[in-house]
Amino acid sequence: MISRRQFLAASAAALTGCRRRRAGGEVSVYCWSDYIAADTVAAFERETSLRVNYETFESQEEMLAKILAGGGGWDVVFPGNTLVGPMVRRALIREIDHQRLSNLANLEARFLDPPWDRGDRHSVPYMWGLSGFVYNRKALGRAATGWADLWDRAVKGKITMLDDPAEVLGACLKKLGHSLNSIDERELQAARAEALRQKPLLRAYLNAEVKPQLIAGDVWAAQLWNGDAYQAIAENRDLAYCFPSEGFALYADSAVILTQSRNPDSAYRWIDYLLRPDVGASIARSTMFPTPNARALELLDPALRANPDLYPPPGRLTSAEWFTEISAEGQSLRDRIWTEIKAA
Amino acid sequence: MGAFFLLPLLIVLAYSILSKGDYGGVALPVTGANYIRFLDPLYLRILGRTFWMAALTTALCLAIGYPLAYFIAFYGGRWKPALLFLVVMPFWTSFLVRTYAWIFLLRDTGLINTILIRLGWIRAPLPLLYNEGAVLVGLVYGFLPLTVLPLYASIERLDRTLLEAAADLGARPAVSLARVTVPLTMPGIYAGGVLVFISALGAYITPDLLGGGKSILIGNLVQNQFTTARDWPFGAAVSLLLMAVVVAALQLYRRREEAA
Repeated sequence: MISRRQFLAASAAALTGCRRRRAGGEVSVYCWSDYIAADTVAAFERETSLRVNYETFESQEEMLAKILAGGGGWDVVFPGNTLVGPMVRRALIREIDHQRLSNLANLEARFLDPPWDRGDRHSVPYMWGLSGFVYNRKALGRAATGWADLWDRAVKGKITMLDDPAEVLGACLKKLGHSLNSIDERELQAARAEALRQKPLLRAYLNAEVKPQLIAGDVWAAQLWNGDAYQAIAENRDLAYCFPSEGFALYADSAVILTQSRNPDSAYRWIDYLLRPDVGASIARSTMFPTPNARALELLDPALRANPDLYPPPGRLTSAEWFTEISAEGQSLRDRIWTEIKAA
Repeated sequence: MGAFFLLPLLIVLAYSILSKGDYGGVALPVTGANYIRFLDPLYLRILGRTFWMAALTTALCLAIGYPLAYFIAFYGGRWKPALLFLVVMPFWTSFLVRTYAWIFLLRDTGLINTILIRLGWIRAPLPLLYNEGAVLVGLVYGFLPLTVLPLYASIERLDRTLLEAAADLGARPAVSLARVTVPLTMPGIYAGGVLVFISALGAYITPDLLGGGKSILIGNLVQNQFTTARDWPFGAAVSLLLMAVVVAALQLYRRREEAA
């Protein structure tokens, strides 16, 4: 007969999905899919003889929901810049001890001390990027210039938008000349009207899975992150990337160590490894996403480094805006509008 | 066993009467607001659409499944086990993978469009993917085995001498099907129908992948509440309301069973 207390403890463990593991000797990582080089994990394991348990997510909200539900048992996760603040306030992540990251100095100064994590106390920049759109120059028959090109009736059924409320509302808000982080009811209602006007022209709301259809020529224009876009452009030279003239979003993803981490030492070694110039360069080369690591950047092919869509000169970013954290009330309003767009 | 079923359900119930936490999760105070919020026409429309899709899926599954089960039961002969095996075999592969496979069949440069263009029947690819039709195809495909098995069981059990008697008394095959076979296999039709209807009510992968996220069913609404919207209590309330509907459907089904 098990006692009530034992029963409760056992069911709590079952509910939170926590795993009993040997401390040390391994590190558990939860990262965006396709956000690492094919050999990164194997090379780290060879070098350190630590075992890496590597899992991936498609949306950071899914990652947060799992951690809040108490699950996972991860040591290191990779939230976007809008999620770092909420995770700090929910006490989900640890403070970073800079002394333990010998490669931290490799990062470009402009990515250090960001507004969402002053003093880099909780997060280490990993990759960054922007969301404009990729389009088929030949099929479209012209160079695209702005979001308005994704509202063009002539390409009805050949357009996709990201399946993400912040991205779609952000594009609509920018098209109207507002901040992409707006929580103003009037501006958001106008953005909703834009989205509803665009919906009949859309083939679908798709994230990274749009790439094969861009390459095959099924899709002519797709709102997409620049790294993903260049993975497709590498396969089909008719594709080109557009920085919309009305403005577009910037984001950065960072590595953080979870409070629940049972292997913080291994977590530091993993993050420090990612910061190494050769490792950062190999990841930037294979994912095409821009690296914030200055020393890794030096190791890239001059052609890649000089690509103005991936490593834009400051002048190309004047109309760019960082995604910022949205208040709880703003989030509720945006969710309702998103549901209305989806249900229409 | 009871704990496996009951504990998660109690947690969902508890969540559904709490308030939403700032960045997900739940907080005090206790409230009934999450249930009241569902009365908004926006959400009722989504519920209505979900019912409509589930009903269509059920009707199509029965329309395809009945002749199939009938054929296997009457003409399967020694191939019966093999044929039933083929019906069940898709369950051996992940539903997600099989749904992705449909994308490769239906897309512009997919198998179906390529063949039709090669045959010269069409010039431009048909828009087969990312619409209601594609969602329906995915749902019917996914749930068809759930109808075939109970239908097969009840058609197989059918007393063949009753059909002979009907024929002897002058009933044409169509009449004997409508007045003998179908009424006597009603339990199988109900069982298969209920299984599909309930499964289709909770679908969320299919509308997402094959519908291209352009329309949402209740399953997607619930998923959104736990992820992007970070409103767990509302998500819990919606899923409990859906469950209440399912329980009501099952009650109705049991009544019919007892009456039969």
